[in-house]
Amino acid sequence: LPFSLRFPPFLFLFSHIVTQKRAIPDSLAEFELLVMLAALRLGADEAYTVSIADDITERTGRRVRRANVYTTVQRLEAKGLVSTRLGEPRPERGGRPRRLVVVEPEGMAAVRATTTAINAMVGGLGGIIGEAG
Amino acid sequence: VSAPRWTIALIRRLAPPGRAEDVQGDLEEAHGRRRAERSPFVADLLTGIEALELCLALLVERARAGRTGQAGESSWPRVSWLDFKLGFRMLVRYPGLTLVGGLALAFAIWVGAGTFEFLSLIVSPRLPLDEGDRIVAVRNWDISVNRAESRALHDFVAWREALATVDDLGAYRDLERNLIVEEGRAEPIRLAEISASAFRVARVSPFMGRAIIEEDEHAAAPAVIVIGYEVWRSRFGEDPFVVGRTVRVGIEPHTVVGVMPEGFEFPRAHDAWTPLRLNPLDYARREGPGIQIFGRLARGVSLADVQAELNLLGQRATADFPRTHEHLRPQVMHYPRSFYYTLSGWYALALMSSNLLVLLLLALIGANVALLMFARAATRESEIIVRSALGASRSRIIAQLFAEALVLGALAAMVGLAGVKFGLTWALAIAETEFMDGGGRLPFWFTSRLSPATLLYTALLTVLGAAIAGVLPALKVTRGIGARLKQASAGSGGLRFGGVWTAVIVIQVALTVTFPAVSFFLRRDIVQMRDYDVGFADEEFVSVRLELDRQAAAFATSDTSRAAFLQHFAVTTQELERRLAALPAVTAVTFTDELPRTYHGWNQIELDEGAVPPRDSIYGHRVAATSIDPDYFDVLEAPILAGRGFHAGDQISDARVVIVNQPFVKQVLGGLNPIGRRLRYVAGESARSYDPGPWYEIVGVVGDHGTTSGYGRAGFYHPLPSGGTHPIYMAIHVRGDAASFAPRLRATALAMDPALRLENVVPLDEVANAGIRTAEFWLALLAGLTAIVLILSLAGIYAAMSFAVSRRTREIGIRVALGADPRRVALAIFRRPLTQVGLGILAGTALVALMIGGLDADDLQPAQAGMIAAYALLMTVVCLLACIVPTRRALRIQPTDALRHDG
Repeated sequence: LPFSLRFPPFLFLFSHIVTQKRAIPDSLAEFELLVMLAALRLGADEAYTVSIADDITERTGRRVRRANVYTTVQRLEAKGLVSTRLGEPRPERGGRPRRLVVVEPEGMAAVRATTTAINAMVGGLGGIIGEAG
Repeated sequence: VSAPRWTIALIRRLAPPGRAEDVQGDLEEAHGRRRAERSPFVADLLTGIEALELCLALLVERARAGRTGQAGESSWPRVSWLDFKLGFRMLVRYPGLTLVGGLALAFAIWVGAGTFEFLSLIVSPRLPLDEGDRIVAVRNWDISVNRAESRALHDFVAWREALATVDDLGAYRDLERNLIVEEGRAEPIRLAEISASAFRVARVSPFMGRAIIEEDEHAAAPAVIVIGYEVWRSRFGEDPFVVGRTVRVGIEPHTVVGVMPEGFEFPRAHDAWTPLRLNPLDYARREGPGIQIFGRLARGVSLADVQAELNLLGQRATADFPRTHEHLRPQVMHYPRSFYYTLSGWYALALMSSNLLVLLLLALIGANVALLMFARAATRESEIIVRSALGASRSRIIAQLFAEALVLGALAAMVGLAGVKFGLTWALAIAETEFMDGGGRLPFWFTSRLSPATLLYTALLTVLGAAIAGVLPALKVTRGIGARLKQASAGSGGLRFGGVWTAVIVIQVALTVTFPAVSFFLRRDIVQMRDYDVGFADEEFVSVRLELDRQAAAFATSDTSRAAFLQHFAVTTQELERRLAALPAVTAVTFTDELPRTYHGWNQIELDEGAVPPRDSIYGHRVAATSIDPDYFDVLEAPILAGRGFHAGDQISDARVVIVNQPFVKQVLGGLNPIGRRLRYVAGESARSYDPGPWYEIVGVVGDHGTTSGYGRAGFYHPLPSGGTHPIYMAIHVRGDAASFAPRLRATALAMDPALRLENVVPLDEVANAGIRTAEFWLALLAGLTAIVLILSLAGIYAAMSFAVSRRTREIGIRVALGADPRRVALAIFRRPLTQVGLGILAGTALVALMIGGLDADDLQPAQAGMIAAYALLMTVVCLLACIVPTRRALRIQPTDALRHDG
């Protein structure tokens, strides 16, 4: 018997490490996807919390809390899917800078994987769920 | 146009390092847009809400990051095992602080956890039975008078047949009977006539023999009784062959069939159980004796399910029997709930909120311990600065001090919890004597066992106490530590006691002055109560409350009216009096409806003329009233001081004469002759009458013989009505030891009528002992608090003074070296602490003076004023004693020492 199986705590630790590894995302939650898409559309010089929230509201018609955008960006940053940098101070913000969101290549891959998966699942269901958009 | 300042402050505080700027920018931008579209007020409001949302999100994110350790460095302080180890070391290194602070916290936790457990017992009682929370009570509620209708024999039978959601539906009724084990010994027990299913509902098996079974409930079955462990122990001497013995319950013989295990008192606080044999056919609907109905929820069923089923049954009953059941609504509830009227909703909340008061005590004591911890932390300032220089963040240092306080708090919690069980047992005993009439017992679920909720609450209290005692001083010590780090001379004067600490010290000293005074007054009251001279030799009397089974009286006279019952009772008691008087040990016997020394309740009265204005115009003249046998004062050997005593002719109802006592003459008439004046009731606690009643003529005056109403000793006496009154107290004047007369009294009563119950047989000078014990409980609690406050306060003053000296050692030395008078130097240093102590003593003395003034508003005599002054002086000296050691230390400082001193 391997050592880990004779000694359950190690087994636990091992499985934990494995699941941690597997937890690296290859797909995005819905709101994460929306934020990523908005950031891509707005571009590296205009994507920040307020504009991302506005963009999602404008396109989807759903009310978006900036606090949610803020935490989502933080989470995406922690996963390495986006990075942020401070912009120039601006008068309409009381002289404070914006934190601009830049989509990283890993983020781009995740967006692609997620949208592909969605398209694949939606394919052929048009007659049932109605045309999107 | 800027966002509200508090939102900015909040965000700056919560945002992770380096992130505050842009989040604040987002908030400002959003706010600017809102201001363009809406009114300033609405914009501010919405921005405020958004700021709160953002903060919540930040906190959640932070917690998540802290848990997974993913999102970089968390700024939350971490407490490590090393901190706790260091905390233990500190406990040993500063034994004085450990002892004083630990004791104080232990006391606060003791009171806090004890109060919580006690209130929980009342607000959310738990039955100490197997799955006790599934035992329910079912009853009819009369919505027309808003009260439970317990005459529900017919409904009980119907529900027992129909209810599918409740198993083992049973009922009981209370009976008080004499248990007569062998001839010559009869003592009252609390008996439950109960359904056999009760023992299945409780899930408790007999300790010996069997429980009551369904066959026992038939009217023709032999009479059986199951006794409780306590009865078995005390009345049967733990007889192993008790099963099968025959005893008498009142007048009927019963066979003992079983003994229940120790602690079993279901359904409430019962000593013994006999089968319930009530037949609904004997009574009309809503007639007959009252019963209480109980059962166990069927498997997988909730209270709501039962209520739904009951509603259907109730509707059917209303339709079938509109005359009796129109206003009746069946209800189901957790079993203990059926014993309280309104222990839910706001009332329960209000009751539980008394915990807040106790929390305040914890906060106060915590603040005091904080003061001591601060003084200690200040002496460790250089250590803290070095740690900071070596790279420890402020939060690390705070976490360390918190951990130290937590170690102290945990120790204190252990001591406190150990005391809670003891205190709770005590408090429950007090509650029993206070709230249960005539030697009654609290329901069986009032035990001193600690609930998990209380343990959790104690843990919370400990953390809270540690947070106050540890974090407060830590915040203070570490404030501006970076700046102090840059100064060349580490810590020479950066720390001072600020305004908050001044307030703490002043309040502290004021309390120190007040508490001993309050204890003193309570103690004086207790001594007065104990040494109350009732003006006759009360230690030569035995007192007893006489009660009679209504059922047995009806059996004897075949008349069920109350008048016939009272008449029969009067005849019985007179016969007992006659038999007792014939005993050689008895000198005389008399009756009263209130015993001397006991609380009589107040009555507000007025006089036809001659009354002095009452001391309090709202309350009027409040005095005690009691009814006595015409020979009462002769038996007490108490002289009639003026006028005449009662004679038998006064007992007829239109005689309307009373005898007043000397305190009455002094308080109501200002010492004038009362004979021939008349009085009448205006209002009263004992509800003799709320309309002005008829006039009573005062025919005599006696001394002060123990009438107490809570408004002094003024009182008056009526003759007992000739029709009799139930229950009644009997006072027996005996030769020799009063306490040893009890068995003969019981034997005499038993030989005469086994249905006559003798409750509270005690020597007359001991009747008030229960009340005294209650007062002593409060005194002990107060004394504990006083001691804690005193110790904490003196330790606090000592710490503050020592702190002042250690801060300024160098300054003192240099001043003395330059030729300053050491006394003036000391005075300059201690001016501030001394002012604080002085202010505290002044405030405390004022409070004490107010209290004395409130006690005796009109006669604050010079002697009392002198006492207050002397007391203030005493407290000043005590407080100054705490200053002596630091002062001597300051005066001994040599200039050379001062220069060597590093800070």
